[in-house]
Amino acid sequence: MVKSTTKDAQDLFHSLRSTYVATPTNLKIIDLYVCFAVFTALIQVAYMALVGSFPFNSFLSGVLSCIGTAVLAVCLRIQVNKENKEFKDLAPERAFADFVLCNLVLHLVIINFLG
Amino acid sequence: MMNLSRSVALISLFLLPLLSFSFSVDNPTDRRVLVLLDDLSLKSSHSIFFNNLKSRGFDLDFKLADDSKLALQRYGQYLFDGLIIFAPSTERLGGSLDSKSIADFVDSGRDLILSADTSASDLIRGIATECGVDFDEDSSAMVIDHTSFSVSDVDGDHTLIAADDLVKSDVILGKAKIEAPVLFRGVAHSLNPTNNLVFKVLSASPSAYSANPSSKLSSPPQLTGSAISLVSVMQARNNARVVISGSLQLFSDRSGVQKAGSQNQYEKSGNEQFVTELSKWVFHERGHLKAGSLVHHRVGETDEPAIYRIKDDLEFSVEIYEWSGKSWEPYVANDVQVQFYMMSPYVLKTLSADKKGLFHTSFKVPDVYGVFQFKVEYEKLGYTTLSLSKQIPVRPYRHNEYERFIPTAYPYYGACFTTMAGFFVFSFVYLYHK
Repeated sequence: MVKSTTKDAQDLFHSLRSTYVATPTNLKIIDLYVCFAVFTALIQVAYMALVGSFPFNSFLSGVLSCIGTAVLAVCLRIQVNKENKEFKDLAPERAFADFVLCNLVLHLVIINFLG
Repeated sequence: MMNLSRSVALISLFLLPLLSFSFSVDNPTDRRVLVLLDDLSLKSSHSIFFNNLKSRGFDLDFKLADDSKLALQRYGQYLFDGLIIFAPSTERLGGSLDSKSIADFVDSGRDLILSADTSASDLIRGIATECGVDFDEDSSAMVIDHTSFSVSDVDGDHTLIAADDLVKSDVILGKAKIEAPVLFRGVAHSLNPTNNLVFKVLSASPSAYSANPSSKLSSPPQLTGSAISLVSVMQARNNARVVISGSLQLFSDRSGVQKAGSQNQYEKSGNEQFVTELSKWVFHERGHLKAGSLVHHRVGETDEPAIYRIKDDLEFSVEIYEWSGKSWEPYVANDVQVQFYMMSPYVLKTLSADKKGLFHTSFKVPDVYGVFQFKVEYEKLGYTTLSLSKQIPVRPYRHNEYERFIPTAYPYYGACFTTMAGFFVFSFVYLYHK
């Protein structure tokens, strides 16, 4: 029983990995960017747990900038992915333009809230 | 016109000497002293004391205590600055004087020397009780001391005692140490323990007690030991000074004392020096302080601001002068303190003195806002009390006086800018990767 579950987990892992290697490069770049943003957010949360939430607005601003840009990158990935039937008719340039504009608004708000 | 101005000048010339006929804020030593005696022979038996006072510039006015023309006030103005009552057996004072008028006299800031003796009347006891001093209720009791009596005691009942337990105060008793003991023959008094304005100048030795010398003791005496005060002094809250003595002979011309049980024989008793120095203190020739106004300002400025901000640095100073008998000298001491007070002192600092009488310090305004007071409350034994205060508000930070960037938030600032940089780099890479 146990041996079969571990073998299943290993098989699952291998199949995921092989599928992932096959994804297009631009999607992989987006994934890397999302990881970077979430990692930055996690560092900030760890720092707040250490020091306390004194300038809470600065904390929220920092975390939300990372999370917000990650969310926008995920949206970009969804819209640009060719395997996605829903966004077949959407031009990838349009998706990228949306991404850039939303990020500009996000960062404007973030800098204002940062104090 | 010329005649009018000339006559005005003449009249003011005559009036000018009258202005120096009493003590004033600028010249606190008393001038005119009324001396009430119950026996005019006291003028000669106490001549050393009175001549000493006259040589120091006092105007002494000798009157019998029951003189019917006695008056301390006329048309609401006091005629005298000091009062000496050497009338222990007088039952009623003459003229308009009584216990209440003497209490009013002290209340107006004027000084009093009161002496009782072996036959202290109720009037004298009443005046003393007003000042917080209680004479022994037994009217025939005297202070007896079988170990500290003077060997020149002729009666042999050890009522003439040689006392040397003096209060340790240079202000009251002068810088020179009184070497010889002080002769005393009279009644004992004790001080009300709850009264913090009165204190003992000459106390009896621990072996003294108060009893009738000519009769056997039927019960233990009430007043014994160091609780017996021979000469006490009170400084009222308005800085009037009162000396109460249990013996009139203390002030008289007397010489030669040897304390029983000690080898030292002194040609001159300590009485003359003691009463001279004490009279200098009572009549405000010594120990009288005057303070200028409190000055405060921010460090680096000279004007006094109307309001301080929390965590400001400020400097505080006050000038204190001491009257030397003739002029105001700078006061030097290391225990004057200032409080920055709002319901309780937030800051308490000792002021440092320079030789010119300026006491100064600097401190930081505490991190509390409200209405504060600078308070200087100086109560040193024998000196006049200084009670000065000045009110000043303290405000919190204005919205633009806070620090611009909060150091604890630097990681968040860094994270935001890193994310923006990351977005910038990502868009380049995404667009131009092969």
